[in-house]
Amino acid sequence: MTKPNKTGKTLLTRTKKLASDFWNGKPHEERRLGDLYIDKTGLYKHREWRGVKDTMYYFNNIWLYNYAHMIGDMVKYSGPKGPMLFLKGVWRYRWLGQTYLPVMHWFDRGLEGMRGEGLRASAWHYRAMVSETIRQFMRMLEADQKTGGSKEIYDKTIAHDETVWGGIFYPWRDRMDDVPLQMIPYFVTCHVNNHVVLNYIDAAQSIGLPGDPCPMCQAEAGIFLQDDVPEYYPIVITSNEACDGSVGTSVLQDWMMNRPLFAMPQPMQFDDPLVQEHCAREIEECWKFIEEQTGEPFSWNELKKHLEQQNQLQEFEWEKWEVAANTDYYPINGVAQALYRIYQSQDGDREIWHEVDARVKKILEKCVEKKINSFPKTRHRMIAWSCAPLYYSHWCTWAYNCWGLNCIINMDSLMFNMTIRTDSYENTLQDMALYHEWAPMRRMAVGGMHHIFELWEYMEKFHCDMVMMYDQLQCKGMQGVHGLFEDEFRARNIHAIWMPHALPDKRTVSRSEIRGIINDYMTTIMHEEPLDPTLLEFDDSEGW
Amino acid sequence: MKSVWKTLGIVFGILTGLYIVLFLVFWFDLDGKALFYGVEPFLKNHYDKMKRKDPLDVEYRTDTENYEY
Repeated sequence: MTKPNKTGKTLLTRTKKLASDFWNGKPHEERRLGDLYIDKTGLYKHREWRGVKDTMYYFNNIWLYNYAHMIGDMVKYSGPKGPMLFLKGVWRYRWLGQTYLPVMHWFDRGLEGMRGEGLRASAWHYRAMVSETIRQFMRMLEADQKTGGSKEIYDKTIAHDETVWGGIFYPWRDRMDDVPLQMIPYFVTCHVNNHVVLNYIDAAQSIGLPGDPCPMCQAEAGIFLQDDVPEYYPIVITSNEACDGSVGTSVLQDWMMNRPLFAMPQPMQFDDPLVQEHCAREIEECWKFIEEQTGEPFSWNELKKHLEQQNQLQEFEWEKWEVAANTDYYPINGVAQALYRIYQSQDGDREIWHEVDARVKKILEKCVEKKINSFPKTRHRMIAWSCAPLYYSHWCTWAYNCWGLNCIINMDSLMFNMTIRTDSYENTLQDMALYHEWAPMRRMAVGGMHHIFELWEYMEKFHCDMVMMYDQLQCKGMQGVHGLFEDEFRARNIHAIWMPHALPDKRTVSRSEIRGIINDYMTTIMHEEPLDPTLLEFDDSEGW
Repeated sequence: MKSVWKTLGIVFGILTGLYIVLFLVFWFDLDGKALFYGVEPFLKNHYDKMKRKDPLDVEYRTDTENYEY
């Protein structure tokens, strides 16, 4: 035996510890993840050592696999010309070039500190989102008349607002395709590279529009004002994006698009049966518009087939919720859960969601069967409510690593809590109308008091003891209920952290300020010590 | 036969070398650094200089068809 050193450990003990850290990765409290960052940039001095098995999994099955599949998917969706088409798109469109190259850093941020089955299941969610994103922008580029795309594909592509559910277009899926206007150029870019959207927000203000409306509305208008939307569609279906600030955006978009447009706004009071009827008829009118404009007839069989496939996705989502709510064995982290679910439920039935769900199902079953807890340092089970900061959707990964705050579920995941009947045309139409009405930002956020207060019911269902209450400072709808929530939190004795943000605009409340608010709450109210103190304060202001 | 083994050995050596290089790129986040310090500033500069259509020159037409069914 060697002599003990200053800490009282012998050489043998230290060697054993080093070997264990190498083989298994360091225990949570010793990781010092904050030391890995290069100041301001969010880049890593080196990536995290997660133990041999998980580091090699990350390298082989996440990093290499996804880089390879990013190219593979271009070929899969657009044939051998795919990569060249992509490069042309990168050269033409800011949102494409600045966002889809650093995509692996998006994985890194969301999967920091994760191990084992949790790492695997969450990474599969990311993989699905990347693949579906590539499918959408490749279709845009194939049809894009600005970059020499095919006129034939252009004629067979319908554009729609991102909150018009993809299911509306199922009757034509065998002959045409539909691609949302903003899902990729706006929504996904904010998560992957939060600098890009700032150009579009500023573009909207540069023509004299006020800066105080929702920055989402500004950014979505700004993409058009910057002439940065591919010309891939002869017709367009719009909604009010379920937020009334967006109605102004639609006017600007209509101005720039200047082509046949059918407006299908989601109504405010969707519980009213008359409104339900109106909405169902509006879907039928939309179908007539598509038939008239494209000359392609409506197909009930196609609609039914895809709705039934979408129902399978929903049924698996319910299984996931069941495990998340009632066990400690849910292997999906907060950011993967939130982004995958909102993306998939809005996008509708696509092959990649089924592929990934099948993989995740195996992991989920393994975790339940073998009682594997992917978040063993959980101190509090959180539910996140209202609309999240798009530039910091991975806050939950940080919050778990730093404080043991485990975000189990979030409001946007719970929006489309339904399957759609396919037993008769009228039942299908009624259910589709309801699904359409339950759009993001409408279903709970501005869908009426009793809907936004569904929080209490879900908090109980998912056995959550804390709330992360998103506070979108420029959402006039949600600002209107701020005080009511304050009163309810006090009356119900619920620990809630208000997270101020401006949806896509990191300049209003930075990531660092958000972390500071959580840190303050955890120290001054909860009197807790951080699990990893290196994560308390760091500067990632220039990071993606 | 020897030359087959030799060729396989060379291929194996190249692939192993490539694998190690890729691991180093991964480990030291060289992909992130190259994109952050090189590719993104270059592209950003390109996008900033790009000539764009002035939106205020686009006519706002109100005489389009009203689609009602």
